[in-house]
Amino acid sequence: MYHPQVPGEPTQTTTSLVETATGAIQSFRPIKQIHQHLCAFHFYGYDMTRQVEAHHFCAHQNEEMRQCLIYDTPEADAKLIGLEYIISENLFLTLPDEEKPLWHSHLYEVKSGVLFMPRVPGPIERQDLDKVCKTYGKTIHFWQVDKGDNLPLGLPQLMMTLTRDGQLYDELARDVEKRFGVSFEKERAKRADMEGPTHGIHPLANGGGKGLITKLRELHCNRTDPSFASSQL
Amino acid sequence: MASSDKCPAPTPAKGAEAAPPGQPMTMGQHVVDKGASMLQALTPVKQISQHVCTFALYSHDMCRQIETHHYVSRLNQDFLQCPVYDSDDSNARLIGIEYIISDRLFEALPQEEQKLWHSHAYEIKSGLWVNPRIPEMIGKPELENLAKTYGKFWCTWQVDRGDRLPLGAPALMMSPQGVNLGKIDPELVKKRDDNYSISTEAIMESRVEIEEPEWINPQADYWKQHAKGFAIDIEKTEMKLRAPFP
Repeated sequence: MYHPQVPGEPTQTTTSLVETATGAIQSFRPIKQIHQHLCAFHFYGYDMTRQVEAHHFCAHQNEEMRQCLIYDTPEADAKLIGLEYIISENLFLTLPDEEKPLWHSHLYEVKSGVLFMPRVPGPIERQDLDKVCKTYGKTIHFWQVDKGDNLPLGLPQLMMTLTRDGQLYDELARDVEKRFGVSFEKERAKRADMEGPTHGIHPLANGGGKGLITKLRELHCNRTDPSFASSQL
Repeated sequence: MASSDKCPAPTPAKGAEAAPPGQPMTMGQHVVDKGASMLQALTPVKQISQHVCTFALYSHDMCRQIETHHYVSRLNQDFLQCPVYDSDDSNARLIGIEYIISDRLFEALPQEEQKLWHSHAYEIKSGLWVNPRIPEMIGKPELENLAKTYGKFWCTWQVDRGDRLPLGAPALMMSPQGVNLGKIDPELVKKRDDNYSISTEAIMESRVEIEEPEWINPQADYWKQHAKGFAIDIEKTEMKLRAPFP
């Protein structure tokens, strides 16, 4: 996959000294909750032909909800390209009907083997993926690296995930298998007994079967508000 | 289908309690997480080197203002990327992402793109932007550089409107400014200050010698010159396919 280079000068010593200090002194509690690296693929909600390798770094809010930072690679210079929220089937069913299409199912990705946790032995990985199999996700990307953008340009993109065989490009699959030393076929066989959502994949999920696209709308805003006229700051 | 400026229908997904709905973590999940985190490098996340606490406003409704917690990592001298949370607690909610670029990179952006960005000079000089627990003396050398940057901040979870789960389309955020709707409610600032035992006003005074940027691009902070905010709509469309869907 192509990884565009972010423009800019190398970090100056004075800058990195300050950041070494802040890194040592401050607490990063929300970040310390991030315990897991998952690799998967997303495509754009309106264009299945544009597919992106997505490295998720996930933290649990509770047993039924995770929040994940998405990077384009698992390296130190990785670009933060988006985020994903993952919720249980129970929580998904509480969503308003207009909201459900923005969420996608994980059943196919998990059972086909293409979603995996790099470096984690199969038995441990499968314990967790057994749960992920039943969940729904909402993924938004802000940086279209597949287009060659070297900065996060444009609008947020609602992403979707694979739902059946034949969608994922072979070259992408083989490249990931090679770099991470995994075999999707072998994993698929080991995950044959995993089950998806108890009530089946909800018909409104995955865009309700339609494409979804984001659009920008300008609206008039009043620049002044009398209730703040006297605030000092 | 969904818009960043429309309120979603009331359901159990909206409510007064702060914590997201869901069962507490099981011991089994903790064990799996612990196991995974010992085996996996989590390298990109380890690059996060700064916590910044500041404020932001919704571009489609600037009367809605929130305290934000940015966890910053730097890719080079001109570019920073930050997941943004609603607090600094371990149960903080991930509410969006902000990107920060130097004025040099900003000037090279197309005008249509610049409209989505905001300036940081006021936020920094006014003391609203702080590095919690870091003495001013340590953070100061970088503030002059940061005062010249521009940010692009998308909010994906509107917790201030009571959403217990992330609903709707992403919302564009704007930065505090010294005029009109850009002014932050003093109550919000006081709450932040009390939490960290700091005084934004005192910090502002100590930042008086930080140089103002010579020029702030008028395409940034679009509402100031143009009285326009932005909303995002999510619409149905035909998906370009290479195989059947779903």
